[in-house]
This record gives sequence, C-alpha cells and structure tokens, in this order.
Amino acid sequence: MKPPWRLAGTLIPAMAFLACVSPGSWEPCAEVVPNITYDCMERNLYKIPSSIPSSVKHLDLSFNPLRFLASQSFSPFPELQVLDLSRCEIQRIEDDAYWGLDYLSTLILTGNPIQNLAPGAFSGLLSLQKLVTVEINLSSLENFPIGHLRTLKELNMAHNLINSFKLPEYFSNLTNLEYLDLSNNNIQNIYCKDLHVLHDTFNLSLDLSLNPINFIQPCAFNRMRLRELTLRSNFDNTDVMKTCIQGLAGLEVHKLVLGEFKNERYMKEFDKSALEGLCSINITEFRLAFLDDFPKDISGFFDCLVNVSAVSLVNLNLHSLEGLPKDLKWQSLELIKCKINQFPKLVLPSLKRYVFTANRGADSFVKVELENLEFLDLSSNGMSFKSCCDQDDWKTTSLKYLDLSFNDAITMGSNFLGLELLEYLDFQHSTLKQASQFSVFLSLSKLLYLDISYTHTEVAFHGIFSGLVSLQVLKMAGNSFKDNTLSSIFTDLTNLTFLDLSKCQLEHVSQGVFSSLSSLQFLNMSYNNFILLDALSFQPLHLLQVLDCSFNKIESFEGQELQHFPSSLTTLNLTRNAFDCSCKHQSFLQWIKDQRQLLVGAEQLQCMMPLDMKNMSVLSFRNSTCQITKIVIAVTVVSVVVVSVIACLVYKFYFHLMLLAGCKKYGRGESTYDAFVIYSSQDDDWVRNELVKNLEEGVPSFRLCLHYRDFIPGVAIAANIIQEGFHKSRKVIVVVSQHFIQSRWCIFEYEIAQTWQFLSSHAGIIFIVLQKLEKSLLRQQVELYRLLNRNTYLEWEDNVLGRHIFWRRLRKALMDGKSPEGTGDLENSHEEMTSLT
Amino acid sequence: MTGFVAALLLWTLVSPGSSDWGGGSAWPTHTACRKEGLEVLYQSCDPLQDFGFSVDQCAKHLKPNLNVRFGIILREDIRELYLDIALISKGDFVLNYSYPICEAELPKFSFCGRKKGEQMNYYGPINNPGFEVYEGKYQVLVELYNEKRATVACANATIICS
Repeated sequence: MKPPWRLAGTLIPAMAFLACVSPGSWEPCAEVVPNITYDCMERNLYKIPSSIPSSVKHLDLSFNPLRFLASQSFSPFPELQVLDLSRCEIQRIEDDAYWGLDYLSTLILTGNPIQNLAPGAFSGLLSLQKLVTVEINLSSLENFPIGHLRTLKELNMAHNLINSFKLPEYFSNLTNLEYLDLSNNNIQNIYCKDLHVLHDTFNLSLDLSLNPINFIQPCAFNRMRLRELTLRSNFDNTDVMKTCIQGLAGLEVHKLVLGEFKNERYMKEFDKSALEGLCSINITEFRLAFLDDFPKDISGFFDCLVNVSAVSLVNLNLHSLEGLPKDLKWQSLELIKCKINQFPKLVLPSLKRYVFTANRGADSFVKVELENLEFLDLSSNGMSFKSCCDQDDWKTTSLKYLDLSFNDAITMGSNFLGLELLEYLDFQHSTLKQASQFSVFLSLSKLLYLDISYTHTEVAFHGIFSGLVSLQVLKMAGNSFKDNTLSSIFTDLTNLTFLDLSKCQLEHVSQGVFSSLSSLQFLNMSYNNFILLDALSFQPLHLLQVLDCSFNKIESFEGQELQHFPSSLTTLNLTRNAFDCSCKHQSFLQWIKDQRQLLVGAEQLQCMMPLDMKNMSVLSFRNSTCQITKIVIAVTVVSVVVVSVIACLVYKFYFHLMLLAGCKKYGRGESTYDAFVIYSSQDDDWVRNELVKNLEEGVPSFRLCLHYRDFIPGVAIAANIIQEGFHKSRKVIVVVSQHFIQSRWCIFEYEIAQTWQFLSSHAGIIFIVLQKLEKSLLRQQVELYRLLNRNTYLEWEDNVLGRHIFWRRLRKALMDGKSPEGTGDLENSHEEMTSLT
Repeated sequence: MTGFVAALLLWTLVSPGSSDWGGGSAWPTHTACRKEGLEVLYQSCDPLQDFGFSVDQCAKHLKPNLNVRFGIILREDIRELYLDIALISKGDFVLNYSYPICEAELPKFSFCGRKKGEQMNYYGPINNPGFEVYEGKYQVLVELYNEKRATVACANATIICS
C-alpha cells in the first residue's frame, strides 16, 4: 500500500503547483518585438536568461541583481545592438564580458557600483557608438579601458567622482568621438596639458556643467576647435567666471552655452565684466541661461558678441534691450522668458531669425525694422496687435515663418500685403478679430501651414480661406461656424492634406463641402455635435487615411451610402458616440462589424439606444435578432393572407365544398325533384330567367318541378299538382306576388301544399316574396298573412348584393335536409312544422 | 512523504506573487508633512516603484515658493519631463494643471537629461503661489512623465486641513 500513497503525496501538490503557475511565468522576459526586442526590466534575475532567442537585437536587463558579468556573458546573443544594464548592482566586470558582441552599438551601464573593471572588460565591441557610464563610481579617466573603441561617438560619464580633466592618451584613438559628457563630476581645475590629446578633433561637443570649476589655465583651450562647449552652474562667483572665461582664450567653438540651472545657482551678483573674456574666443552661436541679478544697464555687455551669428538669452532678468551695440552682425536672436518690459524697437538689418517668446512684460506690439527677417516667433507674450499684418510691420518682404500664437487680441486689418512668401502662420490661442469679414489670406499663395485653433473665430464668410492654393495643413479646432453648419469654405484648398475641425460645435455638413479636397489624408471632426453623418460627403476624399469622428453624438451613418466611404481609409475613430443599435440601422451596425480592423477601439464602441442595449458593445449586436423579428412579421402576414384567401374561397365555393364533404352521396331518394315551385303564370318571366337559371344551372344544381315543363299532359291539373308536384318533390317554393294572391290556382296549390305538408310530414315550404304586397290584399288570405308575419321569408331585391344574398339563402334552404337517408329531411320538416304553427 | 516535501519546497521557491515584483501589493502611504492642522499623505501609484517626498514648511497659510525634497531612482530617461496635477474635491475635478519641467532644447533644472537607473534628488523651491488652504479633504493626483509618455513617478496624495 505504501508506494501508491507516496505517489499521491507527490502528485497532488505538484498539480496544485502547476495550477498556480501561469504558463507565462516560466518566461521571465516580455517579448516586445518577436525575436528582436526583449524587456527583462526588474524581473529579479540573478543571471542572464537563456530562453531569449539568439537573434535578439535589443535587450533590456535593467534593475536585475546580476552582481557581476563573467567572461563571454553575452556570447549566446551575437546579434545584439542595444544592451541596457542599468542598475544591475554590477560590481565586477571580467575580461571579455562582451565578447562576441560585434554589432553592439549602445551599451548602458548607468547606476552600477563598479569597483572592479578588468582591463579587457570592453574588449571586442567592434561597433560600439554609444557608451553610457553615468553614476558608476568612476573616480578617474586614467584606467578606463575604452582606448580601443575607435567607433565610439558618444561617451556619457556624467554623475561620477572624476576630479581631473586630464584626458588620457587613449582619447587620441577615439577619433570618431562627437559627444563627451563629464557634467556633474568633481573637476575643479583645467590645465594646459589636460586637453592636449583633443587638438586634432573638430567635431566634439563637451559638457562640463555642474563641475565646481575654480581655474582654467589660459592655454588649456588655445587653438582648440569644438562643436559645442557647455558650462552651466560651474562658477561660484563672477570673479571665478571671469577668469575661467579668460582661460578659454584661443578657443574656436561653434556653440558656447553659459549660465546656471534654475535649481543650481551659485553666483550671487552677476557682473557684466564676467563676459569680457569672450572677445578672445571665436564663437558662432552663444547662449546664456538662468542668471539672476542681471545688470540693468547692458551697455558694453554684448561688446564681445558683435560678430556672433546667433544669440540666445533664456530666463534672464534683462528688462530691456536698451544699449545694444550698433553694428551687430547677429542673424538669429532668441529672447525667451527675459521679463522684458516693452517690445524692443529693434533695428537689426542682419537679423534673419527672431524669437521673442514668453516675455510677459510686453503688452503691445510696436513696429520694428528687420529688413531681412525670414523667421519670426512672437508667441506666448500676451501682446495685442492693433492691425495685423503687412510688410510695414517688420519692414521685411522675406518673411516665411510667423508665429503669433498665445497672445491677446489680434485685429486683422490687412491681408498680408508684401508678405507673399509666408509658408507658416500660427495664430492659435490668440483672439482673432475681423478674420471672417474679408479674404484675409488672399495673397498667401505660398502658405503651407495655417493654425487658427481656439482664436474665437466665427466662420460666416465663405471666402475666408480664398487664395490659399498651396495650403497643406489647416488647424481650426475650437472655433465656431454660422448656424453650426460646415459650409463650402475650402474651395481653393486643393492641396490640403491635414484638416482639424474638432471642438467647433458643428451639427451639420453642407453638400459638397469636401468636394475640392481630393488630397486630404487626415480629417479630424471629433468633439462636435454631429448626430447623423452622411457618408456621401466623404466620397470626394480619395486619399483620406485617417478620419476621427470620436466624441460626437452620432447615432448612425446613412446605411445605403456606406460604400461611398473612401477605400484608402486606414483608421476610423468612432469612439464615444451615441449609437442606435436598433434593427433599422442594421446595415450600419453590420458595416461596423465588418470594418473592425479599421476602427480605433472597436471594442469600446457602445450602444446608447435602444434602452435594452444601453452600454452594450456595438460588436455584440446580432443580425439574428432582426431576422427573428422579420420572420415573425413575414409569417404573420402570410398566414393572414392565406386565411383570408381560404375564407374567400370557402365562401365562394361553399356549396361545392358542401357537396364534396358532406353530401357527396346525396341523392334525392324517392323524390324526383328538389322543389316544386308554386307561382303565378304572370311571374313566369322571373321564374324562367332567374329561378330556373340560377338553381338548375348553378352549383349545386337543383331540379325544380315546374308546371309548364314537368306536368304530364293529359292528366288533370289537380292530379298533376299532387302526383308530379308534391309527391315527387322534397320542398315547395312559393313565389308570393300580387298575381299569386289574385290567382285561384295558385291559392289552390298553396292550400294543397299546406295540407300535403301536414299529411305527409314532408318537405318544408320556402316563401319568396317577389314584390311588396298590399296588406289589404294579403289579409284576404288569412293563413298566408299569418305565416308571413311569423316566419322568415326570402325577399327578392333586384340589385347585385341583394341578389347574391337571396340566392345563397335560397340554396342553403334547399340544401337543408339534403341527406342520403332522408332522416334529416324528416327532422327538418318537423322543425319547419313547429316553426310554421 | 519525501515527494510531498520536495514538491512543496519547489512550490515555495518558484511560486509567483512573491513581493519582489512589486506589482501585486500597493505601496505604503507616506506622510509628506504634518503640522498646524495640515496633513499631506501620499501613496505611489506607479506599480514599478515608490519614491520619497517631503515639504519643508507645512501650514494652512501656504507660503510661496515652498521648499520640497524629492528622491527617486529613475526608471526612464528624462530628457523631457512633464508634470500633470489634478485636484479633486468631493469627487469633482477642481483643477487640472500641466507643466513642462524639462524641455529638450532648454534644460531648466540640473536633473534634466538624467538617465534611466540614475538617482535623482531635488531639494529646492517649487514655483507655487502663497494661498490659504480651506478646511476639508482634498485628493491630488500627480504624475510625472517623459517624452515617450512613460510614467516617471505617480502619486495619489490626500490633503487634510482641519
């Protein structure tokens, strides 16, 4: 018994374990791109997972306690291009750790407390271009074993403990180095010999920010050429800064960045003499950022920057630009967040690019003379413009870029006369006045980009965009339209590829609005109030790829027109609408299901109506629900029709059916005739033409006994009446008329009939009143009078309906008792007897 | 029984849901400051990590340019960094505020451009106006994210003023 128990004891917990572990947890990494990119960040891995395919190119192993990298750790992944080992607690990297990674271009080692770096740690790595060794407790550049990485372009050694800027000899091997970041280290002094090895490089960008630099030996940068040098938050005070900048003498640098960081400010008072040393540096672009206590009088400050081509002043308390040197050769000027009180009246003929943004002190625009200006950014100043815009405002005819966004009121007084070269125009979030009263943009035939979003513009004038024949991008979100209807305002915009109409409170689209936009690729109509959209209006948009109709109130698109949607469409956003999921929009709902690969967030599309489907997914709509309703309706209609047809047929062929069903074996039994007709010879016409014709030739055909035809000649009339008439007939038809009462024979016949009926208990008498009778005349025949008063009789009416009813009733009466056995006859005659008496 | 023990041991060793992943359980609630009737509590809503935050001065009459301390180990590069703050009072969004902290072209703070895996400590003023905090309980959602819209830090804070 023991082995089975042991087996069970093993199996049960093992199965419980297997049930708890989801299949994915065997695989420690997330597959981002199959076989290429794997993300193993923070998976508590102590070693490199072996389950990753050897074709991997991007591998993120960050935040795993790998602790050390042994030799050839990555040899299973020879295709690796990017390897992230951030914060892997790596203390030791052995020789040839990256052996075999011949294609690795980026190696990230940020945040590892490396203590032991073997001399051959980075051997191999034939293609390495970027090495990030930020915060790795590096205290010296001297023994860092990267001298063989000739392909290296970017070396980031920020946030370490390096205290000497002496670049070791191996830097002369790094001939491709473009970017060296030594910021946030502990470099205090820079000596002449430190940069000795860099003398042959021209393309290097060097960042030395956040080092507490005290001293730069004047020959250190002499005859050196750098692409960029950044010195931010390096100096304790103006004096240090002054001497250090003087120490940069002889440097040729494309871009020099000086200043501090907002949160790292050391210089209490900034003196303009600090920049005197710039005169002995050859600078192309100069930037100064974040300096408190900027001197109020700036005269003399820019004297060493006269020949610079680009100046950028960011977050300085400049207040004004009074006192700028006259013969400046600046081509580009940036004044960002400089608290300048008034819009400066600049006269700078050389200036091509002027950025004056986020200077909240200036409140209105003044005319300036910048004859060669091509690029003008005046955004985010909260300024107002009394009359915009023409050549006179800036004295330039070369302007291509104009940004007036995020300002106050801008009154459109002119239509860009002299500014015909404009390609980019941005007014967003400024208040445009009079923009919809005339063709403001008429002369801008070269404009490619126009943004008038959120400018409080109410589009009422159809020609608002006239003349913009080259326009490719039009953004006009957050405005409004007359009658909330999108009308034909895009006629000239035949080259438009991007159109944003979101948040415009639109409810309707007029016909043919998009007919000229055959190049349009992107159309945003979200956040409007559309209820029903006409797919037909999108038909002319042959190249449309993205259509966004989200956040509207759309119930449905017109079902028949859905095929008119452009076939080029790749993305359609219909989320957050009020879809009606009732059967009347069945074709639209089916279309949504068919196009789900096109739709953004198809699963999130929800029904708002009918109530029983509220908040349910549109995709859960089933055609079968509608089919069931249809089937029910169809079946009902068909059955009603069938029943009515049958009823009509039964009515029409009632007597045929009677014959077929119940009276098939009908025979007159011993009787020869169905009825003996008592009538006056005056009524002969009626009897021959109507009675005989209808009863003997119709269905069922009755055989009547008529005196002129059936009485045997040579026999007494009375005998004929009894022998042929009563004796051989089942029933008696009495045709009562004026003549009948007056005819003695008729009365005789009638009286015999009564007697006969009484004696033989035989057939009933059927009265047909042929015409209205005079009462006095009728009273002569007391019996008849009483009978007609008490009994039902048939009255002849000479119209279509009357005749129809008459013949049916008569036939029915004659059919009574038409049974083969004749017993029915007997019963019937009894009933008639009782009714007669 | 050896089999049972072996299986149990294996289960304990490999069992998922151990706290190392940090995904399952919520982070603890920390106190950023508590003084003079004002209490600020916060809890990290980033499943990847917790962080440290404190406010130096804490009073109902909030002073301008408060000094704060903030410390985190970055899970993302922050070449660009943006801040979103939403203030919720009684279930309604009272204030939504978005602010660029680091921009690629104009790094404003010294921590701009720091790398994934690098420590980031900030001690200094924030650019807030001074105002009076009214009595009540407020919820604040704070999120820091980078240019790839990846969350750098995220917190649910509660401000109780009594």
